[in-house]
Amino acid sequence: MPSGSIPILKIGPTLLASIQIDLHDTVVDAFQNDILLEIEKSGSRGLIIDISALESVDSYVARALANTAKMAKLMGTETVIVGMRPAVAATLVRMGYYMSGVRTALSLQEGLELQAELLKAAESE
Amino acid sequence: MELGIQPDYMKILKLDEDEVKRRFDFFELTADDFSRLTQLKSFADSCTHEITEGLYELIMAHPESRAFFPDGATLSRVKRMQNAYFLHLFSGTYDLNYVRDRLRVGAAHERIGMPPKLYLGAYRRYLALIHERLLVHFKGSEAEASKALATIRKIIFFDMALAFDTYIAAYLETMTRHQAAIRELSTPVIKVYDRILLLPIVGTVDTQRANQIMETVLVQVVEQQARVIIIDIAGVPVVDTKVADHILQTTAAVQLLGAQTVLTGISASVARTVIQLGVELTRVETRAKLSEGIEVALSIVGKKIASKKPKKESDDED
Amino acid sequence: MAVAQTPSEAWEIRIDKEADIIAIRQLVRELTKQFKFDQFASAAMTTATSELSRNVWVHAKSGLARVSVLREGDRIGLEVVLVDHGPGIADLNRALAGGYSTANSLGLGLSGTRRLVDEFKIDTEPGRGTTIVIRKWKKEF
Repeated sequence: MPSGSIPILKIGPTLLASIQIDLHDTVVDAFQNDILLEIEKSGSRGLIIDISALESVDSYVARALANTAKMAKLMGTETVIVGMRPAVAATLVRMGYYMSGVRTALSLQEGLELQAELLKAAESE
Repeated sequence: MELGIQPDYMKILKLDEDEVKRRFDFFELTADDFSRLTQLKSFADSCTHEITEGLYELIMAHPESRAFFPDGATLSRVKRMQNAYFLHLFSGTYDLNYVRDRLRVGAAHERIGMPPKLYLGAYRRYLALIHERLLVHFKGSEAEASKALATIRKIIFFDMALAFDTYIAAYLETMTRHQAAIRELSTPVIKVYDRILLLPIVGTVDTQRANQIMETVLVQVVEQQARVIIIDIAGVPVVDTKVADHILQTTAAVQLLGAQTVLTGISASVARTVIQLGVELTRVETRAKLSEGIEVALSIVGKKIASKKPKKESDDED
Repeated sequence: MAVAQTPSEAWEIRIDKEADIIAIRQLVRELTKQFKFDQFASAAMTTATSELSRNVWVHAKSGLARVSVLREGDRIGLEVVLVDHGPGIADLNRALAGGYSTANSLGLGLSGTRRLVDEFKIDTEPGRGTTIVIRKWKKEF
């Protein structure tokens, strides 16, 4: 059961987390902890992080998201970030922050499709 | 022209109390002038009709100005307004409300399309008529007549400045609307197929335009949930490092959203320039021709263009 | 978190803990919305404010943010001043030089932040601290 302020839902084989609040240290720590525990418990191979509620993302949040994806990857789980707003994408590239290691998709639907592809590819390696 | 919604000219022209005071100072309108104007109220009352008639005599004698008063009803109404306008010059209070009132009249003239030259010509006639009446009113005291005329001239010029301002404000407003329209037209994002957008860029791209293009592209990609956007630059005359950088920034942002860009319209000289300048375009699909870009985009969404086979009995091709 | 408010268009927020960064960010975001900045300008100014506030907290542990509304004729703008008495920046040119880089030892992201705003002024000296002023003007048309 998640202890932090970001609820994590299980949708079939995938975990879905929707970020609605301003992220800071304790929230990020709890979030990352909860995700990893969930992965361990449920064996989910996919994680979708929905950031459609975020109007702005600074480098701290971008790093937090990227690190979360990396942690999940270590446990064999593929992460896709969905719902990025136009202004968020613009601000990140203007700052020079391209988040190159992170997969993104326009919507939950596409995120799930992309995840399925990624997992299939990972399996065939 | 929108009905009912009049732009706030006071705001557009930045007419606040400070500005009005500055204008009074520059037109040398003093407390003396204001009290003299109040004292001239009875003079004004006595001759307003004649003066208005005299003014419209001129206006109706010339086809160009006559055209603005096509029928008797319009003319009567306008003459009544003109009387009120004239009397208000001698109203006694000269504050922001007075200014707002004068602006309204100027705006009305601008709206019906009366050109400044006619407006000015009418004011000249006005002053001449007032002068004649003043000489009669102050018969025997030329000094008084002179002082009165001087004061009236100041307030009339002050009024004319306001009239001019309304014309300028109206033009500024039109320009703003045109600019908005031009901006919209300059970044036409077209949906060419399900989940595929196309943006043909035509004309020079400076930093401001590039930023605006990126923002429009991103908004459209999200709104239309596009998986691919084809950006065609065949119509961009000069592609130097700056332009290339801007385009790259846009493709990077599109990628961040989770969509893909296909860049087309790459001419031989652009290809040469880009590589010679060392610009990295490796993470973007590029093609020389738009048609090729469309094919790439279609394959990204899992479609392709196939020729219609000639009809055979066993075929149920659509 | 102390929010001292002077005549309705200027605010001062102390930066002593991480939650203060969020308060400052939220204030700036609210102001951009109140004055109807477009979404891109809003995100840019909010993010720039957040980056710089976080720098203050991370590197100087304490400092101050002064947020104010600017009015110049018809133009409306927002200004954020970040003041700290932290270590200061030794090699300012390098810190401002191109590219955001996590490998950048200072990790300040100053050059990136600078690209998000219309005006950027920095005054810093090792041992004395740093003051940064950023401004963003609302696009009129």
